[in-house]
Amino acid sequence: MLNFLKSGKCKAVLWVLALLIGLMLYAVFVGGYTISGVGIFKMIASPFQKASNAISQHVEYGLDLYRNAEDYYEENRALREEINALHTELADYEATKEELERLQAFIGIKEKHEDYSMTSPFDVTGYVTNDPFCAFMIDGGSEDGISLYDPVVSDMGLVGVITELGAHTATVTTILSPELSISAGTRASKERGILTGSVSLALDGLCKLQYLDKNTNLKKDRIILTTGENGMFPAGYVIGYVKEVSMDDAGLTAYASVEPASDMKNLSLVVVITDFSGKAENGNVQQ
Amino acid sequence: MYSNKFQKSNYLFLQTVQWILFAVIIVLCYLFETSGSSLKPLVLIPLALCIASHTGELQAMAVGAVCGLLLDLACGKLPGFDAFFLVIVCVVISLLYRYFLRQKLINMLFLTALCTLIQGCLDYVLYYAVWGYENVFLIWQKIIFPSCLMTIASSVVFYFLIKKIAEKCRNRRINQLEKTILSDWQDMQN
Repeated sequence: MLNFLKSGKCKAVLWVLALLIGLMLYAVFVGGYTISGVGIFKMIASPFQKASNAISQHVEYGLDLYRNAEDYYEENRALREEINALHTELADYEATKEELERLQAFIGIKEKHEDYSMTSPFDVTGYVTNDPFCAFMIDGGSEDGISLYDPVVSDMGLVGVITELGAHTATVTTILSPELSISAGTRASKERGILTGSVSLALDGLCKLQYLDKNTNLKKDRIILTTGENGMFPAGYVIGYVKEVSMDDAGLTAYASVEPASDMKNLSLVVVITDFSGKAENGNVQQ
Repeated sequence: MYSNKFQKSNYLFLQTVQWILFAVIIVLCYLFETSGSSLKPLVLIPLALCIASHTGELQAMAVGAVCGLLLDLACGKLPGFDAFFLVIVCVVISLLYRYFLRQKLINMLFLTALCTLIQGCLDYVLYYAVWGYENVFLIWQKIIFPSCLMTIASSVVFYFLIKKIAEKCRNRRINQLEKTILSDWQDMQN
């Protein structure tokens, strides 16, 4: 032992230890930077480290699988069950969220028009087969407080009126139908006309605002609203947007093609306005 | 005695199976009619005609009435409008197939075309033209006539489907009958 302490080997060891202490102190003072020699070493060693690390990971992975296969199987099964439950919850959540968003739009109608008495939203159960005017059925009827010729609206705009009524089902004739005539116009320019359906325009999903002054200032994209003059529809409800303004065949009046704000071919939820200020006793539907 | 009972119960069973299948197809066709807002064939017409061509007059009448009423419901027509038309047509077709016509695709295509076009014309005149709408001919051109063409084309599917079901059930009935007769004859021999 004493021989070792006196030997050059011990001195060499001490030198190396001193060097290492010095290195450590230097590293502390450098403050986070890599020491150049170490950096070069790391750079050279890096690919080998990666390779060895990958191999060891593979081996560890294999051994781990072999040792804990049963535990993993059970854990996997439990997690799958948990995922399935979460998926179900997520689907419910999505459906609830979608429903909430749709209902919020209808709450907006009530907030804007406090005088309206509205039903709860009804589902569109189906469209009348091959109807050129997109008539459809809803799952609400007289038992839900609906009356014949009550206006039907979506969150986007006016849709039509109830024209057939059962206890729990009703048929809605849309504003694309020539059976309906609605007093309509713009809010700002006070342009007035009669909005009705037309066969040629209905096939393109449009309706016609006719009997406009031939010098009308109506322009494309202007909003058309109900005026509420005949007491059939509440005043100030959005119908759609002007698509094109043209003169009629006789050249005495102008008419505008109006694109309904509601997409008549893809309605899913509507509400019926059962009462509003200025409502007439009888409707103005031409039968 | 035993074989008679056996034969009768089997006959009833096969008849029931056949009519359950027909009823399921009718319901599926109604669901097809009422789904979506796009232009579609009136598939209940060729279906009723095909079933009528394989059944007796009374059954044909019932099928015509059911399919017609369902068609009225789907198309938002006056209840009975299409039912009335289809009852007459189905009974006539049942009689035609009993006495004059053979089960050929061309016969069914011709009859479907005739019935569909008559129904289309009635629909056009009584539901649109009579009201004098402007450009009313567009409804015929863009909706009713294309729908008629699709209906006629769809009759090919129903022709083979109904023929398959009816023949399967009939062949089984004949086989059962043959077996029964054979076993009766063997019993008599013994």
